[in-house]
Amino acid sequence: MTLPAIVSMELLKLKRSRITWLSMLGFALIPLFGILFMAILKDPAMGRKLGLLATKARWTAGSADWPTYFSMIQQGAAVAGMILVGIVGSYVFGREYTEGTAKNLLALPVRRFWFVIGKTAVVCIWLASMTLVFLLEAFVLGGVLGLPLYSRDLAVHSTETVLATMGLALLLGPVFGWIAVASKGYLAPIGATIVAMLLGTIFGATGWGKWFPWSIVPILGGAAGPDAAKELGAGSFIVVVIVFVAGTICTMIQIEKADNTQ
Amino acid sequence: MGNDLAAGRGTAIELTGLTKDYGKVRAVHDLTLRVRAGEIYGFLGRNGAGKTTTIRMILGLITPSAGRVSILGRELRKDRFAGLSSIGYLVESAAAYPNLTVRENLEIHRRLLGAPPDTVEEVIASQHLGAYRDRRAGRLSLGNKQRLGLARAFLGSPRILVLDEPANGLDPAGIVEIRELLLRLSRDRGVTVFLSSHILGEISLLADRIGIIHQGRLVEEIDSAQAARASSSEIEIAVSDLARAARALAADLGLSAVAGAGPGSLRVVCDQARAADIARAVVAAGVDLLRLCPVSEDLELRFCRLTGASS
Repeated sequence: MTLPAIVSMELLKLKRSRITWLSMLGFALIPLFGILFMAILKDPAMGRKLGLLATKARWTAGSADWPTYFSMIQQGAAVAGMILVGIVGSYVFGREYTEGTAKNLLALPVRRFWFVIGKTAVVCIWLASMTLVFLLEAFVLGGVLGLPLYSRDLAVHSTETVLATMGLALLLGPVFGWIAVASKGYLAPIGATIVAMLLGTIFGATGWGKWFPWSIVPILGGAAGPDAAKELGAGSFIVVVIVFVAGTICTMIQIEKADNTQ
Repeated sequence: MGNDLAAGRGTAIELTGLTKDYGKVRAVHDLTLRVRAGEIYGFLGRNGAGKTTTIRMILGLITPSAGRVSILGRELRKDRFAGLSSIGYLVESAAAYPNLTVRENLEIHRRLLGAPPDTVEEVIASQHLGAYRDRRAGRLSLGNKQRLGLARAFLGSPRILVLDEPANGLDPAGIVEIRELLLRLSRDRGVTVFLSSHILGEISLLADRIGIIHQGRLVEEIDSAQAARASSSEIEIAVSDLARAARALAADLGLSAVAGAGPGSLRVVCDQARAADIARAVVAAGVDLLRLCPVSEDLELRFCRLTGASS
C-alpha cells in the first residue's frame, strides 16, 4: 500500500510541475534538431540560405542518412539524459525541502526508505516515458524525411544503445537525490549536475573516460566515436552500478538519520 | 493503556531529560514534561526558546542529543512507526504542494496515513475549505493555507495533536473556531493536544496546563486554574533593613526573598495567606515594616518575569 501511494503521489506532483513538461520539450528537441541537420544536408540550397547553420550541419553530421542520424540521436540522448536525470532527480528530492513539505512527509508513520524508492521509481518512469516518446519521434521524423540506408539491424542497434545510455544515466540519478536531501534543496544538486558534466568532458578528453561515470554514458552513446564505445568493459558498468548503489544508500541514510530542521 | 487513556489517566506524551545541541548551542536543555491523555497542554515561550525544536523531537524529525520521547508509552527512538501513527501535526508554517489542489494535498496525505477516503471531505468541511477544494494550494491566502495545514493534522482522527503555532495567519474568527474545535476534540473525543504558541491569550483560553520554556529549559508549569486566578503567590514588602529582613524570613518562615521593584523592597514568593506571618517575622527581627502588599500577576507578567522580557 505504501509504495503505490508514494508513486501515485509523486507522479501527480511531477505531472503538475512545469519542469516535467519543459524537460520533455527539451528532450523532444534533440530528434527535431537532428532531422533539421539531415534536411539541410539533404538540400544544400536550403543550407546555403541558412548560412552558419548549414556549415555547422556539415561539420557535425557529414551525410544525410540513417546511420548519421542515429549517431546524432544516440549522442544527444546520452548527454541530455544525464543532464535531465540530474535536474529531475534534484527536483524530485529537493522540492520537499525548498517547498517546506519534507517535515510533513518525514513525520508520517511511513518507513522513510519508501520515499527514496518511490521517488527513484518515479524518476525511472518519467525517463522511460521520455525515452519512448524520443525514440518514436526520432523514427517518425527520419521516416518522414525519407533518409536512405535504413536497415532493421541498424534500428535495433540504435534503439538498444539509446535504451542502454538512458538506463546508465538513470543509475547516476540517486547521487543528486542524496545531494538534494543533504543540502535541503534543489539548487546544490543542479549545480553538482553541471560540475559532473564538465568533469565528464575533461575525463573523456584525457583518456580516463571509461572510469568516470559521467564520461561512460556519453562514450557509450558514441560521443567519442564508435570505437571508444567498444573499449568500455565490465569495469565501466560496475563503476556506474557502484555510483547508483552508493547514491541510493547515502540518500536512505541521510533521510533516515539526518535532522530535519527545515 | 486504552482504558487508562479513556479515563484520562494515561500519559500521552512524555519527555525525559530531552536535550538538543546544535554544535555549541544548546537549543533544548534537559527538558522533562508529561502530557496527560486528553488534556490540552500549552507550550509557551519566546521566539527561539526551543518550542519548535522540542516539537520536531516529538515528531522524530530531529534526533535528541540526550533524553527520550515516549508517545502513548512507547519510546519513539525504538518504535517511531507506532508512536507517529497516533499523531496529527502541524509544524511551523503550513506547507503544501503549491501545484496541487487542496483536495489533492489532503488526498495524498490520507493515502499515506491509510485513513478512510471520506475523511478528506470531513476535514475540508471542518476547516471551511469547501469553496477552495479545487483551488491550487499555491493560490490560497495565508489563513487558508493554515487551515489546510490544520485539516491535514486532523486527517485520520489522531489521538494526539501536536500543533506548532496553529493560530498563525488566521483571522480572529478563525482563531475562535480553531479554539472551539480543539476544545471539542479534547472534551468529546479525549484527543490530547500539545500546542505551542507565543500568544499568551490564546494559550490561557485553551490550555489545561501551561509549560513555559525559556532558553531551552522548562522554567514553570502551571495549570489553568492558577492561570485563571490571575494572581501569583507573591508578596512585596518595603523594610528598613533588607538583609536583616531577608535573614529573618528565611530563618523563621523558611521563605526566600529577592529584590523587589523599588528601593528597599523585597519580593517574597509564598502563599498570600502568609502576609501576617511575614509582617510578624520582620517586626520581631527589629526591622521597620514600611509597606506590605500582595503582588497581582497575570499570565503575561508571569511569562515576562520568567523569560526576562520587559512587560
